[in-house]
Amino acid sequence: MFEWFEYAFMVRALVATSVMSFAIAPVGAFLVLRRLSLAGEAMAHAIVPGIVIAFVLSGLSVVSMVIGGLTAGIAVAALTSLLARMTIIREDASLASLYLIALALGIFVLSAAGSAVPLKSFLFGSILGIDNETLVLIGVTATITLVSFAIILRPLITNTIDPLFHESQTKYPGLATQWFMFLVVLNLLGAFKALGTLMAVGLMILPATAARYWASTITSYLLTTFGFALLSCWIGLIVSFHLPDVPSGPAIVLVAAVFFLISLIFAPQGFHPAAWLNPACRWQQSDGDTNVNSETGEKIHEKTF
Amino acid sequence: MTQPLLLSADALALGYRDLTVVKDVTFELARGDVLAVVGHNGSGKSTLIRTLLGGLPPLAGALNWPLARPETVAYLGQRTDFDDRFPIRVRDLAAMGAWRGLGFLHKIDGECQARIESALDRTGTAEIADMPLYKLSAGQLQRALFARTMVQDAPLILLDEPFTAIDQTTEAALLTLIDSWAAEGRAVIMVLHDLSAVLQHCNSALLLGQGRALFGNPQETLTPHNLIGHAYLSRSQATWIKTMYRGQEAGHV
Repeated sequence: MFEWFEYAFMVRALVATSVMSFAIAPVGAFLVLRRLSLAGEAMAHAIVPGIVIAFVLSGLSVVSMVIGGLTAGIAVAALTSLLARMTIIREDASLASLYLIALALGIFVLSAAGSAVPLKSFLFGSILGIDNETLVLIGVTATITLVSFAIILRPLITNTIDPLFHESQTKYPGLATQWFMFLVVLNLLGAFKALGTLMAVGLMILPATAARYWASTITSYLLTTFGFALLSCWIGLIVSFHLPDVPSGPAIVLVAAVFFLISLIFAPQGFHPAAWLNPACRWQQSDGDTNVNSETGEKIHEKTF
Repeated sequence: MTQPLLLSADALALGYRDLTVVKDVTFELARGDVLAVVGHNGSGKSTLIRTLLGGLPPLAGALNWPLARPETVAYLGQRTDFDDRFPIRVRDLAAMGAWRGLGFLHKIDGECQARIESALDRTGTAEIADMPLYKLSAGQLQRALFARTMVQDAPLILLDEPFTAIDQTTEAALLTLIDSWAAEGRAVIMVLHDLSAVLQHCNSALLLGQGRALFGNPQETLTPHNLIGHAYLSRSQATWIKTMYRGQEAGHV
């Protein structure tokens, strides 16, 4: 049962993913709260060409990979907001266009250069890939992320709930949110080796959406997200250890998916069968006066059973 | 007006680099004043608010603060971008009003805590203080946002259409609060979309429209003639209202 504990690479992987969970949980939580879950996915693709070009130029060096990934991620983010402001295309379509170009470019360069790294471990991660450099990268990422959150938590919460109010109260309203996007890219890079580019965002989003069904205060939300992320990593790694052909990334994300399903069914703010029968109990798309019952003034999307 | 002047706008031109939205905006605001800003869509109401908040410099004219520009200007915007499913409690939303005075390491001190409790009490949200936002009705949420506005403790309060989608009971309660702010010597600027009984609580009005502005007391400023001239009402609407009004009068006689 516990034979995996004798393997150094498993202990390494457990330590690495535990530290990673500390940082990736609040980042994922705010992606969900800020309605940027899909933008997180897009950023995971956007960093690919940077990583690939760094890899082709200087092999498996963590430093060059981080520089390449950050450059690509920040370039896509900056170009997206530029296009959204200067052209008729909105932010989502601008981002979609740019990340698709970036992803195609990345895979094109990787294949054309005749990569030594198998595509599978590039996309889905490998626990064997966690070397000392990667451990340091994860540690540095987690430290930067947690210190940053200590500073930007209040402005970020304020901006997420009520951007108009936030803008009225500060000279630089974009500072916290732009720093947050930087943290997203940084954490995707930190999780890249263990989970792969496609699965890193899974560990970011799924624990956060699962926890969203339970929590009604921000503190409990962040803690629950962290708990789900940590358990997903541990259980996922052990599963992947016992099934040697399964890469660690999908195993971890599938465990997170189980937490998501359990939360969906049992959590207070999750799915409730009565919502099917009574349309008044469903969460509604639009906000404002459409979901206010005209007779009582009550919001009718409130769930009361 | 015995109260000292807080703000005077002298021939302001408001807008963006290539686009002047409204010109010759002149008005005065003393402590204890409640000013209604009325105008059609695009007449410059939001532009005025942005300028007063300091986010947009005036294109021409001057904005004078005889008592120095207040450190905090309280602001309650429209709820179009507001996220009412965010996992926090009413109490935390109110506390957000104190945010500007807090650095990232500071805790909320006793004085500030007292201010939050008093704001919750006066807005009637003390009983729901521990409820998460998503459980609130539209009226309860607006009360909570008024609590946040009170926690800001500012000499100047800007409210952008504060009574949209709010029932009559809540509107009356919130108007009482606005009266009490004025009595405390705070100045309030309210953007209003509909002409309503709310105007009885305002002692001055600024009518914006067609790129021009008119300032005075509400009765003399918001006359049908002026409302047509500033494109708030069309001529046919005004005629219709007049006939309706005459019809009622005739009915009573």
